[in-house]
Amino acid sequence: MTIVLVLGFLLYSSWPLIQQQGIAFIIGDEWYPFESLYGMLPALVGTVWAVVLALLIALPCGVAAAIFCAELLPAHWRGSMRFSMELMAGVPSVVYGLLGMWVLLPLLESQLELLTGRTLLAAGLLLALMILPTIMVLSEDAIRAVRQSQREAAKNLGIGWDATLWRVLLPQAWPGIRVATLLATGRAMGETVAVMLVVGSIDRIPDPFYNFLQPAQTLTSRIGREMAEASIGSLHWAALLFCGLLLAAIAMGLSLLTQRKGAAA
Amino acid sequence: MFDRCNVGLWIGFLGAGFLLLGPLYAATTTIKIAGSTTLLPILSEAAKQYRVTHPDLSLTVSGGGSGMGVANIERGTIDIGMASRPLSEREAERLGASIDVIPVARDAVAIAVSKAVYKSGVTQLSLAQIAAIYRGEIRNWRELGGLDAKILVIDKEASRGTRHVFATVVLGSARARAPGATIITGSNNEEQSVISRSDQAIGMISNAWLNDRVRAIAVGEGDMAVLPTIENVALGRYMIKRDLNILVPKGSGDEVKGFVAFLRSEQGQAIVETVGFHSVR
Repeated sequence: MTIVLVLGFLLYSSWPLIQQQGIAFIIGDEWYPFESLYGMLPALVGTVWAVVLALLIALPCGVAAAIFCAELLPAHWRGSMRFSMELMAGVPSVVYGLLGMWVLLPLLESQLELLTGRTLLAAGLLLALMILPTIMVLSEDAIRAVRQSQREAAKNLGIGWDATLWRVLLPQAWPGIRVATLLATGRAMGETVAVMLVVGSIDRIPDPFYNFLQPAQTLTSRIGREMAEASIGSLHWAALLFCGLLLAAIAMGLSLLTQRKGAAA
Repeated sequence: MFDRCNVGLWIGFLGAGFLLLGPLYAATTTIKIAGSTTLLPILSEAAKQYRVTHPDLSLTVSGGGSGMGVANIERGTIDIGMASRPLSEREAERLGASIDVIPVARDAVAIAVSKAVYKSGVTQLSLAQIAAIYRGEIRNWRELGGLDAKILVIDKEASRGTRHVFATVVLGSARARAPGATIITGSNNEEQSVISRSDQAIGMISNAWLNDRVRAIAVGEGDMAVLPTIENVALGRYMIKRDLNILVPKGSGDEVKGFVAFLRSEQGQAIVETVGFHSVR
């Protein structure tokens, strides 16, 4: 019900734009509100890149940490590990953003000899840090939920630890890890403040498009920067709400997709 | 010690206390001010001094940019808007009849570069050179007599007053595109921090935000190049300048009117000069 209301509101508010310009502006690559050009492609590409980078970094790290905690770590360490992860998850995003600005950006600039550290990579790294706890905690739960008898059976069959991990534990924990990934993707996509501070906010598709060492723009950072200035009811306002609609639609599409797969499995 | 009845009583007392406090807060009048970050230091300092003589008044001053100041005055969510640029034609059409635009200070928009760039010998540029940088035709400081280093070109959010003035003078129109830009920043503070932490940046920034690591270059051809000093602005030699305005709805209450008069008074204009801008008197 709420979802229908939210989507309805977003669609209703961005309708003037669709009415006037059709739907082709989604793949337009020029965003100049003053010239009534509302191309969504640069921010879409930026958003996808930031999320993909974050997942590429956080997923292997998070799952590896989860395996370590669930299978190898002595029980009395486990509690403090978990506690610190939950603490990490609770840090406000603006704190990560400021950390990113004062620690990550200078580091990137000096180590990679970049013109500016404000790049998609910076956003990806920051987002990776922010979604790591989600991935780790949920994956750990999923791995520990695999029954003890399975582990014992594997042991009795003389299967080594790594084979047990790849053939027994991970396949059974996979649905849980998938859910963790999905939640993390949603978080990464919707994150605003931290990304806004480090991404450079320029509405331009990186050149070439896979160059993640260039400044770019994400949908959320655009909304964050421009919403206060758009007068309510203007085309600019409608375009920003359409950015929100796009985000909501992508997030819903993703969760529907996993739901389907989950039901089929 | 605390049985259940007692706790209930305490909660009741607390609740009653808050209820009593409510009207007390409502009794003080609040003037809400928001908009251009360039005007922010002037209005903050003025509010502080004004409250000394008007303790019953509460003034809140926040930033957001000229565009936001105009948008929020239109929405009626603030009492005074700050704009470091004139109203655009469309804005003037919508708001001209209901809002007074009152200049409270003059300012120069400095072309600022990182300290390292300045030290390497780039201490003045012509308008044409600056335009070429922002159009993406010049990309390396070497072409301008500096070190062999790429130029980090900082543009500002499209609705910012500083950009409006810069683009009008340098690029020929207030809303001109800047295809040479590397990144976009918002407030003066954000831009200042980017320039000061880089060794190869150029940007546009209000005169009052210059410091050792964020240096103004002289603008103009050859011997005619001038720095954005208060004298050069007053004498009309420096081109990239503007009035800093406040937006006040017509028919505002006496509290707002009093504060506006204070800003334009001798004491108010003294604040303007202490903060680093030029008086309008």
